[in-house]
Amino acid sequence: MADQSIPVTVLTGFLGSGKTTLLNRILTEQHGKRIAVIENEFGEIGIDQALVINADEEVFEMNNGCICCTVRGDLIRILGNLMKRRDKFDQVLVETTGMADPAPVAQTFFVDEEVQRHFRLDGIVTMVDAKHVALHLDDSDEAQQQVAFGDVLVLNKMDLVSPEEADALERRIRSMNAMAKLVRATNANVPIAEVLDVGGFDLKRAVEKKPTFLEPEYPFEWGAVFELPEGVSTLSLGEGTDETMQVVLVPVEGVAEPLKEGPERGVRLWTKGPSAVKPGGLVEPERSVNLDVSSGKPTTFQVRVPRAGRWMLLTEHGGDEYQVRLGKAATVAEKVYGGHEHDETVTSVGIHLEGEVDGKKLNAWLSKLLQEKGADIFRMKGIVSVKGEDRRFVFQGVHMLFDGRPDRPWGTQPRANDLVFIGRKLDRSALTEGFRRCLA
Amino acid sequence: MPGVSLLQKPGRRAHLLEAWRFVPSEYPRGVAFDRTGALLALGAADGQLVVLDAATGASRWETRLPDSVSTVAFSPADDRLAVACFDGRTRLYRSDGELLSTLPGAKGGWVEWVAWSKRGQLATAQGRGVRVWTADGQPVLETPPHESTISGVGFSPDGSRLLTSCYGAVRLFPLEAGVEARTLSWKSSLLSLTPSPDGKVIAVATQDNSVHFWRLASGKDSEMSGYPAKPTALAWSPDSKLLCTGGGADICGWRFVGRGPEGSEPLILRGHEQPITRLAYSRQGLLASGALDGDVLTWDPAADATPIGIAPLGDEPAELAFSPDGARLCGASARQVVLWEVTHAQATARALGRQPGGRAGGGASR
Repeated sequence: MADQSIPVTVLTGFLGSGKTTLLNRILTEQHGKRIAVIENEFGEIGIDQALVINADEEVFEMNNGCICCTVRGDLIRILGNLMKRRDKFDQVLVETTGMADPAPVAQTFFVDEEVQRHFRLDGIVTMVDAKHVALHLDDSDEAQQQVAFGDVLVLNKMDLVSPEEADALERRIRSMNAMAKLVRATNANVPIAEVLDVGGFDLKRAVEKKPTFLEPEYPFEWGAVFELPEGVSTLSLGEGTDETMQVVLVPVEGVAEPLKEGPERGVRLWTKGPSAVKPGGLVEPERSVNLDVSSGKPTTFQVRVPRAGRWMLLTEHGGDEYQVRLGKAATVAEKVYGGHEHDETVTSVGIHLEGEVDGKKLNAWLSKLLQEKGADIFRMKGIVSVKGEDRRFVFQGVHMLFDGRPDRPWGTQPRANDLVFIGRKLDRSALTEGFRRCLA
Repeated sequence: MPGVSLLQKPGRRAHLLEAWRFVPSEYPRGVAFDRTGALLALGAADGQLVVLDAATGASRWETRLPDSVSTVAFSPADDRLAVACFDGRTRLYRSDGELLSTLPGAKGGWVEWVAWSKRGQLATAQGRGVRVWTADGQPVLETPPHESTISGVGFSPDGSRLLTSCYGAVRLFPLEAGVEARTLSWKSSLLSLTPSPDGKVIAVATQDNSVHFWRLASGKDSEMSGYPAKPTALAWSPDSKLLCTGGGADICGWRFVGRGPEGSEPLILRGHEQPITRLAYSRQGLLASGALDGDVLTWDPAADATPIGIAPLGDEPAELAFSPDGARLCGASARQVVLWEVTHAQATARALGRQPGGRAGGGASR
């Protein structure tokens, strides 16, 4: 039954982000496929063979005791109508309005039996206007929700931003949604395979794709390895917008992978009460310091190391942004570690735990969590190893709605638990601790 | 198919004998008998409109509309046929095929529902608005836009009021002087509109897997919840005493007798193996039900909670309709339209091979 169900792709994104361009591209390139388009904005679709249905978004609450459970009534009605044909469609595309919250669309596929019988939500594709999205993300809940809900985030209009801006945007978006696939595009020229048949809500495929959150998250943005002589070197920082810049210097001489191990050493020292250093002051290695850069002008400091060799400097803000230089030679290697220039209210929390969980405890924890925090949890996915159960248990959720079932057996693979939450005001340590308590 | 074991009980039977079948060129979007029961109109998703001889299945006339038909309805007052179309228009035909008039619609969107009153007035619903017309296609009334898309339209039995449903409310619009407008509110997505034949109760199905109804005299309403899925089929017995509802594999009948159905146990009609998608009541009190697996069962709910007839439609019923005399039942699925003659019989214990003291016959086991 599930195999015959018609895939539905939801296209979301702010006005001007390129939704209609992508839609037209799909319609042109998927030539021969029968596609129905449900549109909520009067776009300019120039393709004759597709059935285009215009509908007003009719969002309403379900009376199931869950305040955030809203669905799209128009979608239920139109999908019901599309079923009453012998000549079925191969694909349905739903284009939302620019200001739409994607939750009601996703929830429609969880709550309506009739819709579930004939359709499956394949994925939410969010078009992001690379040039203007920063503005939208700063002051629009809808923009944040659209990024948070996306299975595929298309960073469109890349021709309008510099490579540095593009990297920064990607880091920011990634910190909000660790599960999505990021695709860069210009003029919405995305390979169609990247946006259709994504399996974003397919529990079986949730297992295949590991989210990228497993990369550790560091409190610093940038790190670079320098070759330093014994004694004092000059550290110079260009103009910046911040009052202080926290840094730490760690030895990485003889270390096989300094870009991996350096941050591991640095992160342990980072939070241990950074001491303040005035311009021209002395920076000692393996001690976290707060450099005074409040003058707004280029500032220099002295760095003293006890022995010659490779040292790694980790900085709170982007090293490229501050034109950080240390000593006379160029950097040996450098890396960007996540973006923290924005304190996002929407974030992803990934939890990886070895071992087995107690099914009852997990159930109780999740029910309580969704009841209390469901409004702030946009999406959730998990693969867990339940004690006494040979098979993986996979689940996913949208706000308070939850869908889970046993999947294929673990076999010889090591049993472990992976959970991802994407939401607003998520408390990483509380979530991790709560899940840890479910261990058998 | 559960047929054999279901019909092992002595009692009344309403067998369905297939008279003919017809294969429309696309998915059937509405079947309707005319008031004499001699004609059957059928509209399809590719615009096919055909009027068949109900006795033989022979085509009387046929035409093609520019877009999908959404529903068809014969007037109870005369021989007019209303056909709603995805092109936003409603066409009125005489039963011999002559096009009488084409009723214009608003721009964009299709006509989803039509309904005739006993007086011969016609209501058409398109998007958020409803229009009422005379039998000759003259406009009578246009409602203001509703807050969401119209999900059902009808008339009070005496034709004095237009009834509409949408998200959050059922509305009653006066069609004659001295009748007041009313709004019956319930904060939920209302999916259908089914007034009782005596006009005293209006029942609706909701997206919240419930059936809601209002008693017009007192204005009191009740919510019947607990359905496993949204109840997509509702049908009133002709005496208005039983409201049968689908939503699961069992038919749940709410008895409007005494103080009921509030506080009383519903009548449960058990026989289907799959969720019920269509229900139809004949004017003579015979109930027909169709389930996802294509099984069609007949029932005499007033006498018996087990089915009294069975027939296969093949796959999910899209439409189910009795002829006015109750002698014919039409079932339509994605692939075909089947017409059954309803044959009444009395099954005795002897006929079933289960006479007292004897051996169980056939495949029956004890």
